[in-house]
Amino acid sequence: MKYQSQKVARLYFMAAIGLFTGQILFGLILGLQYVIGDFLFPAVPFNVARMVHTNLLIVWLLFGFMGAAYYLVPEEAERELFSPKLAVALFWIFLVAGALTILGYLLVPYSGLARLTGNDLLPTMGREFLEQPTITKLGIVVVALGFLYNIGMTILSGRKTVINMVLLTGLVGLAVLFLFAFYNPDNLVKDKYYWWWVVHLWVEGVWELILGSILAFVLVKVTGVDREVIEKWLYVIIAMTLITGIIGTGHHYYWIGTPGYWQWLGSVFSALEPIPFFMMTVFAFNMINKRRLNHPNKAAVLWAEGTAVMAFLGAGVWGFMHTLAPVNYYTHGTQITAAHGHMAFYGAYAMIVLTIISYAWPILRGEKAANQRAQVLEMWSFWLMTVSMVFITLFLTGAGVLQTWLQRYTDDPLPFMVVQEKIAPFYWMREAAGVVFLIGLLVYLYAFVARGKPAEDATAA
Amino acid sequence: MSEVFTKSMARNIYYGGSLFFVFLFLALTFDTMKTLPQQDNRAAITPQVALGKRVWEENNCIGCHTLLGEGAYFAPELGNVYKRFGNSTEAIKAFIRSRPANGIPGRRSMPQFNLSEEELEGVAQFLKYTSEIKTQNWPPNIQG
Amino acid sequence: MHAITHPLPARQLKGDLAVWILILSELLVFGLFFLGYAVAARRHPALFEAGQATLDTGAATLNTLALLAASAVVVMAIERLERQRTREAGRLLALAALLGSLFLVNKALELHHHLALGITLSTSLFHMFYLGLVSFHFMHVLAGVIVLSWVARRCLRDTPPELNTVWSAGAYWHMVDLVWVVLFPLVYLL
Repeated sequence: MKYQSQKVARLYFMAAIGLFTGQILFGLILGLQYVIGDFLFPAVPFNVARMVHTNLLIVWLLFGFMGAAYYLVPEEAERELFSPKLAVALFWIFLVAGALTILGYLLVPYSGLARLTGNDLLPTMGREFLEQPTITKLGIVVVALGFLYNIGMTILSGRKTVINMVLLTGLVGLAVLFLFAFYNPDNLVKDKYYWWWVVHLWVEGVWELILGSILAFVLVKVTGVDREVIEKWLYVIIAMTLITGIIGTGHHYYWIGTPGYWQWLGSVFSALEPIPFFMMTVFAFNMINKRRLNHPNKAAVLWAEGTAVMAFLGAGVWGFMHTLAPVNYYTHGTQITAAHGHMAFYGAYAMIVLTIISYAWPILRGEKAANQRAQVLEMWSFWLMTVSMVFITLFLTGAGVLQTWLQRYTDDPLPFMVVQEKIAPFYWMREAAGVVFLIGLLVYLYAFVARGKPAEDATAA
Repeated sequence: MSEVFTKSMARNIYYGGSLFFVFLFLALTFDTMKTLPQQDNRAAITPQVALGKRVWEENNCIGCHTLLGEGAYFAPELGNVYKRFGNSTEAIKAFIRSRPANGIPGRRSMPQFNLSEEELEGVAQFLKYTSEIKTQNWPPNIQG
Repeated sequence: MHAITHPLPARQLKGDLAVWILILSELLVFGLFFLGYAVAARRHPALFEAGQATLDTGAATLNTLALLAASAVVVMAIERLERQRTREAGRLLALAALLGSLFLVNKALELHHHLALGITLSTSLFHMFYLGLVSFHFMHVLAGVIVLSWVARRCLRDTPPELNTVWSAGAYWHMVDLVWVVLFPLVYLL
């Protein structure tokens, strides 16, 4: 570690991993509720568990992104963080606000939470992924502003590398687009139209800039390839991301009351959305093949490769599968979407956060890489989690194909619940794969224990 | 074949290309907003429908159901439920009202939300309004 | 079969690789839209014929000539620049930008005429393709004119950008031209 203030990243990474664990536990509850309908009912109804599952995902990824930024920005800018104290303060604010919100979901009926937090004054609750009480949303804005100030001041007064500038534009975009979470008109079509400005333009827009810059940073570090080479590819890849992804938003505007031309625009541009992901895969493997050094942290290299492959499969291939309007007409809002969502979020965003944690954690402890045994465990957890996510995706895809057929496509379509019972075997297999994922996560957590005390000789580094 | 590949050109394409497509997206948004009145059934948005949307949100209905295909996939699509229930707001209200508080053993069941009559009417009217939005003929059939 | 053992002479890609990647992806986008147009026109022949009848082929022909001329002038300009005749190249590039602007003005009048009739992207499938393709291409010409003007200005001030940059600008302009050469017969004539 080059700068003392990078240490603040540790807090963020710890919170990210803790919340990740919570997310997976609730995922297993949800999976069980799919097949045992009254599991935990009415104490934790499906909608509450799902809200916890998705909100924990968003929050832990945000913790991961912020941790990544606090780690890599000082190193890139070649100066200490503008204010480590602010970073610590914002961490606790965000963690407490996040924890209170999750507890609110679990302990108070949602309508009661709405009343308690004054949703009437500025109603923003009750929309998918944006279920947080308005006051929590305001808190997120405050934290984001403070964070951007801290990071921005560091970047602007230090060395301005491409990685830092791309990360900064991604983070600014993230904060600005979140403001649309406060726009909730009575007109459902308009509500949905701008809701996607947060959701789509996050995950298929600015988050990809964050993903690209973190990946580029790790590749610079673990391959020793000339920064110039990595940086220009980073530019080209994210340029392609935005060129395809911005109008690609149109693939959400097929059936929500928007004009018909979105079917053409959305289909054409989102058909090209896999290209930047493919470029990212080729780029990552190319850089690793051309490496000039053999970094001792093999686990981090594996995570980086895994991110490049799984992001392409999950976001690129599984996204393309149902993105063309004539296909989407039948698959829209089925388990196909769930399949894509799971692999894309894991492959692109969960894995990039795990990549930077894998790379940075040993260094934050004063060693270059974890010991052999801990690394082997971490790599086991990589394979367990990644392979089980592939299977979760395959089972959900099976469920989705069958659902699309029985409920949407046949001459004599069946009611939703009838179809759900017919596809239950897929849900059982998905749950089994989910259990394997949890085992992988436990191995991952154990790998931290197996690291032991930091190496003596490196503590001063 | 050798090639020239400069960082500055890559940067120009990143900033220029993004700006280009941001403008295009804003222009399309402008056109969409101008076209929406013919599509989005806005004339039907009464105070009752607005209340219904609030009830819909404040009970996190989207956490189980889809609405125009968006939401969770645990419970049926509700964008066309008004039509599926025989164009009847009464049927919708009766269904919501009759949910058992402790669920149905072994099966999925909608929670009992204890809505007031006003709220029930609002939600039903909201779903009626939603079913009359022009959605390019989605869903493909009445099962949603 | 014996493998060819003697190395080929090293050739250099003219223009920046980044720009070529951009050009390829743009061609892909336009290509997909052209494909979509062809499919739609086949399925609704009457609609598309009626739509085409309302278009002003004369103005579009003039525009085609303007773009082709601009492309030719760009080639001449680059040839001058390669021989260090910078000012001359600058004047030619300015001429190309002017020809491009002629296209823009002409096209803007055409679009204005249609919009004034109340035609929008949602009027019909034909109009969606016509307005969509033409205005998307229009934005590209606009970007091209801006780039050409910038290079022309630099040349006229005797501070030309690197040759590679000029090649890139030229390649982009030719792409814009090429797209129009397909778009014009497809949408206006066939």
